[in-house]
Amino acid sequence: MTHVIEVDRLTKRYGDTVAVNEISFTIEKDVIYGLLGRNGAGKTTVMSILTAQNFATSGDVRVFGEQPYENARVLPRVCFVRESQRYPDDAKPPHAFATAKLFFPNWDQELCDRLVDDFQLPMNRRIKKLSRGQLSAVGVIIGLAARAEITFFDEPYLGLDAVARQTFYDRLLEDYAQHPRTVILSSHLIDEVANLIERVLVIDEGRIVMDETTDATRGRAATIVGDADAVDAFTNGREVIHSEALGRVASATVLGTLTDDDRMALTRAGLDVAPVSLQQLIVRMTQRAADERRIREGALR
Amino acid sequence: MIDDGRALFLQIAESVEDAIIDQSLAEDAQAPSTNELAAFHRINPATAAKGVNMLVDKGVLYKRRGIGMFVAPGARRLLLDERRTAFADRYVEPLLSEAAKIGLDADDLGALIRERADAQTTTEGSRR
Amino acid sequence: MTAVTPAAGGGHRVLNVVRMQLINRMTFVWIPLLILGAVFVFSMVIWAMIPYGGPKYSAGAQALIWYLVAVGIQALTLSFPFSQAMSVTRREFFLGTFLTAAVSSVLLAVLCTLGGLVELATDGWGMNGWMFHLDWAWAAGPAGAALAVFAVAMLTFTAGFWGATVYKRFGGLGLAIILVGVGLVGLAALWLVGRLNAWAGVFGWIATAGIVPLSLSLLGIVLVLAATAFAMLRRLVP
Repeated sequence: MTHVIEVDRLTKRYGDTVAVNEISFTIEKDVIYGLLGRNGAGKTTVMSILTAQNFATSGDVRVFGEQPYENARVLPRVCFVRESQRYPDDAKPPHAFATAKLFFPNWDQELCDRLVDDFQLPMNRRIKKLSRGQLSAVGVIIGLAARAEITFFDEPYLGLDAVARQTFYDRLLEDYAQHPRTVILSSHLIDEVANLIERVLVIDEGRIVMDETTDATRGRAATIVGDADAVDAFTNGREVIHSEALGRVASATVLGTLTDDDRMALTRAGLDVAPVSLQQLIVRMTQRAADERRIREGALR
Repeated sequence: MIDDGRALFLQIAESVEDAIIDQSLAEDAQAPSTNELAAFHRINPATAAKGVNMLVDKGVLYKRRGIGMFVAPGARRLLLDERRTAFADRYVEPLLSEAAKIGLDADDLGALIRERADAQTTTEGSRR
Repeated sequence: MTAVTPAAGGGHRVLNVVRMQLINRMTFVWIPLLILGAVFVFSMVIWAMIPYGGPKYSAGAQALIWYLVAVGIQALTLSFPFSQAMSVTRREFFLGTFLTAAVSSVLLAVLCTLGGLVELATDGWGMNGWMFHLDWAWAAGPAGAALAVFAVAMLTFTAGFWGATVYKRFGGLGLAIILVGVGLVGLAALWLVGRLNAWAGVFGWIATAGIVPLSLSLLGIVLVLAATAFAMLRRLVP
């Protein structure tokens, strides 16, 4: 198990605001990670710091065992595809791709050409005149065709319609299967990427709140629906992260994997069990963390 | 259909097991490769690989170096035994609960099962 | 997939930055030539229309200077973020970009010098019109003129680049403060000269210094601006 990235107590402060708060994690080689969280949680900041485009306030970051800042041994092996990338004035897509070919040693021109076709990218139009989706496509194509050993995609598909997004996911998986690489994909469209990512890193308000395999998160929670009393009876003593009620029917999202005994008990009690998707799990958990924070802050006053 | 509630690699393994049980995947036949499974279900190849490896560990599949994964002889028997044991837990228990909800006891349930089973064989017979 | 170790060393990649800047040849090659050509043509037309026998001078070269400032600015505002996306280090970007500017400036210097020589030979294009061969610039011969053009071109590019770097690093307020600061330093220097009653000496030096020392002083300023810009660039977020 090789760690290609090691982050130790990374902190980033902007004046009084703490954007990233003493986070630590490692990234394993050739694994696809999902870096998930709400807008403003710190995803882009973390990725920028890992690629030496931004700077840590404190803490240690190592990429391929070295510090990435101004490191010409490390940086060409890394590619960061941003959400809104700026390109030189008057540049057209072929210029961008020709430049990428100069700097990324693993660049695959054939793959680039195929992707241009897949995304129907107009090659003769200036990049600044491209639509939002086409602009995203340029970034996505660079990220895929560069075959950098570590590739970061920071919500690169904003503006891409559902079909184009699926094309991106399909091509990513296809290329990853033939040419494994480490991929870190940030997204707030969690359910869309849930099946692609092998591991989940959730950032909330500058802290890592989840760092595990995607499979481990499945079945991590369940939603129990049925008669309100029966639901209460079952959830007694368990951690409830969300609940709703409509008349005599209640629904409670419970944390904790259900055992076979649990399932039998539920069936006998006439309660329905619904699975909780990764997106719902993360949403509910971060909502609850936010509520708890508010309560704590309120109590301090 | 991929279910959110259970580990993906298990579901992948099950889909291969289902194919073996209904004999659409014969013993000693080549099983779909990890990449084929990943592409078909649109999931991470590493997850598909985990599912396939689990089947190898279980003795359902075996690896032929340089060629791929094949269905082990006796795999079907192995899986049927496993499924039968799980059947009672997964299907009979909920059946009994639901029956109780609508006022059917075990005898009523037995009669209903007999009735439907006969109906099924009749339709199959008339289809032939 | 085995790890591919990239071309070791910055030299190769610095040259690639030059290639990156020149991939779209418009910016560093065609547009400057276009501007120069246009100014030239317009000047010729205007001279032909003016019924004045004495020497006529073209002020159109200024357009080129402003354009170079814009190139310097955009080299930072647009090319820098893109170079970061290409995983280029700030050092490689800086060296490659300035190398490109230098090559561009040399090209311009050569063209202007050739233009000046032709102008001299044709006695002002047969119209006593002077765009390239200005006496004070040519006082040290064609070499001196070439150096002067090179120095001015580099200075304007660097000024644009430096200004944009300050703006990105310290914001509009920061840029304003720094410019005011520089202005104050300039005023202090003038005051000092006055106090030391050295005006005659200063003017004397400028008058007799000649184009070569003046150009070299400009290049000295270029080095200072470039060095400070690099220091700021090292901590700049794209």
